[in-house]
Amino acid sequence: MTGAGRPLFGEQTRFMLLLITPAALLLTLFQVVPIAIGANASFRDWALYNPKKTWVGLHHYEAVLSDPEFLWVVLPNTFIFMILSVAGALVLGLALALLLNRPFAGQKIVQTVLLVPLMVAPVIAAIMMRWMFNDQFGIVNAVLEGLGLDGQPWLVERWTAFGVIVMTDIWLWTPWYTLLLLAGLQSLPREPFEAAAIDGTSTWRVFTHLTLPMLRSVIVVCVVIRAIDAFRTFDIVWTLTGGGPGRSTELFSLYAYVLAFLTLDFGRGSAAAIIGGLIILVVGAVLYRVVDRIARV
Amino acid sequence: MKRIARRTLTALAAVGAFAVGTAEAQVKELRIGYQPSPIQDASIAMFETWGAKKGIKIVKVPNSYGVYVEKMTASLTSNSDQYDVIWHNDDWGQLWAHLLEPTDDIPGLQFAEKWGMDKVVFGNAQGQNTVVPMGQTFSVFFYRTDLLQPNEVPKTLQEVVDVSKKLQAANKVKWGYVGGMAMNHSWFSWFWSMWGNNCDVLMPFYERDNKVLAQNGWKSSLGEPCMKQTVEYWWDAINTHKISPRGMPAYDRNEANAIFMAGDAAFTVADSLWWGTFTDPAKSKVATKIAAARFPLGPNRQKNFAWDDIWGWAIPKSIPAERKALAKEMLAAMMVDEEGQMKLWKATGAPPPNTQFWPKIAAQDPFMKLLKEAVLDSPDKVRGAYYFPQWPAVHKAFNDAVTKAVTGKREDIAKVLAENAESVSKAAQGK
Repeated sequence: MTGAGRPLFGEQTRFMLLLITPAALLLTLFQVVPIAIGANASFRDWALYNPKKTWVGLHHYEAVLSDPEFLWVVLPNTFIFMILSVAGALVLGLALALLLNRPFAGQKIVQTVLLVPLMVAPVIAAIMMRWMFNDQFGIVNAVLEGLGLDGQPWLVERWTAFGVIVMTDIWLWTPWYTLLLLAGLQSLPREPFEAAAIDGTSTWRVFTHLTLPMLRSVIVVCVVIRAIDAFRTFDIVWTLTGGGPGRSTELFSLYAYVLAFLTLDFGRGSAAAIIGGLIILVVGAVLYRVVDRIARV
Repeated sequence: MKRIARRTLTALAAVGAFAVGTAEAQVKELRIGYQPSPIQDASIAMFETWGAKKGIKIVKVPNSYGVYVEKMTASLTSNSDQYDVIWHNDDWGQLWAHLLEPTDDIPGLQFAEKWGMDKVVFGNAQGQNTVVPMGQTFSVFFYRTDLLQPNEVPKTLQEVVDVSKKLQAANKVKWGYVGGMAMNHSWFSWFWSMWGNNCDVLMPFYERDNKVLAQNGWKSSLGEPCMKQTVEYWWDAINTHKISPRGMPAYDRNEANAIFMAGDAAFTVADSLWWGTFTDPAKSKVATKIAAARFPLGPNRQKNFAWDDIWGWAIPKSIPAERKALAKEMLAAMMVDEEGQMKLWKATGAPPPNTQFWPKIAAQDPFMKLLKEAVLDSPDKVRGAYYFPQWPAVHKAFNDAVTKAVTGKREDIAKVLAENAESVSKAAQGK
């Protein structure tokens, strides 16, 4: 009640607040509180096996930011992975969505089959890929050798191993793009396309001047969501290469995980996670603006 | 006085029995945190036999090996009562020692092997033991009996190359040696060949006393000539002699075991507990053609050595007293379960936890006879890990360095090892 005896919020506002309270509580308990605990740990000597919790200030942040492995291997790997994975899956997803947007016999079956990777857990997909690219038993080398080419030790070289990781991620995420872009395509108005057909406009010009600009908002949302998600990719890399050979395919989330849970230094691992969170916050904001601007052109 | 003492003891025993009885009356299940593997499955089978007799349900909670340490450490440090008994390993002996219930009072432990349960491995700050053995877990050098007679088995690393090349040239086998090399599988190529060449991860070699290691500044041996020789050996095995697959630096033990069981390699090093799988015709193409031998030695070592460790079970300190009592009763029963331990041996090839059964098994089984002579009774034993909390970090830094060296150019090996020596020492010091 205010001093004048009127309620602070109107009835409608109070009802809205009541509705969002459960979600806000859950968010606070399972997102805000853990982040706060992690942030607190990042300023303390907090070994998982012996948490002394003594204040060390910015020591962990300095250690992470001055680690050459973090600066020259992990961060470049993470951004290269993000760009290749997002771009690769977007192009393939868009191509598949355009194909599926035309009626043909068995369209529904094809559409369902294309969605299969979405139903596969990333860890399972990574184990499957690891065996497919095994240099002794793998189907990939078997095909190459069948064609008279040499089989390769795919997971021993940095860039071939990295390529397998990117390919696995693209395979997993392409259907997601397809699904969203197909929904976007099917919601576009028909009139502009009919007018272009009457004018005899080429398919390529229709795609570049009508389809792409009209799909802009869907593409921007897809790219931003996926880019942020790609930044925190962990499971497929851990399963496929464990960040190896050596540390050459380590991504940001593996770096933080290894610090926190393999070397059991929860303090430094938390500092790495906070740094990663800040990076992705900036990257996400910039990405949103850049992609939106590109899509407007 | 004697009578009073006797009466007091009787009363204490009665109270103890009552306590256990009450515990049984209240506790209806015991939860086991473990990683599915032949030896753990066989050991849990003994728990289930005991549980069936006592009316206690044994709840198995499997955990992935890849996340076992971190998950269990988090569970132990959060004082959770999620598990009553957990799989324990020498690698984590000191990491968890302060979080585990002392086990010295468990009957039957006097029959356990002493080397594996040494206080340097599993003792807490008060000098109490914190483990109950599940079985001996160490690796041996496996070879194919259809390719070699026992007297032809390589005794040196150089002979592994020579014999492998001969077998490959005669088209008898695709590869000479195959073994795990990737992180957390270092034992199956890196470690045994390093120990066999008078070398180790930290200096002084083979030292496991943390005080001595600290006095020496937790110095890494990556810059030592013996380590350069070891990495060059594997570089040559893969690239020059081509006796090992090019993909081997990325192999875990499952991939290496698969190649050996497919009949594509003459030699491998694996834990003896895989014997049961290697000799199972349903799983192995060479089931009837495998035997084991001592590790081949490098140029710096003439005397044979054996690597001997145990896997075990432990009880979290944080669980209620009645569940601790029941868990101890179960582990005590397991220690003297002859039938169950015989089954464990037959299913795996891992010497069971009660040493009193060993001579009997050795008299019936040539594989156990070999393990007893070559490993269990060996006076020259090596411990498979280091026993301080930073060991996982040291292991990772070591494996990263040797993997980088073996997958690079041969002429860069010494440089790469020297550059990474500090990272191993720093990891040991928690920096």
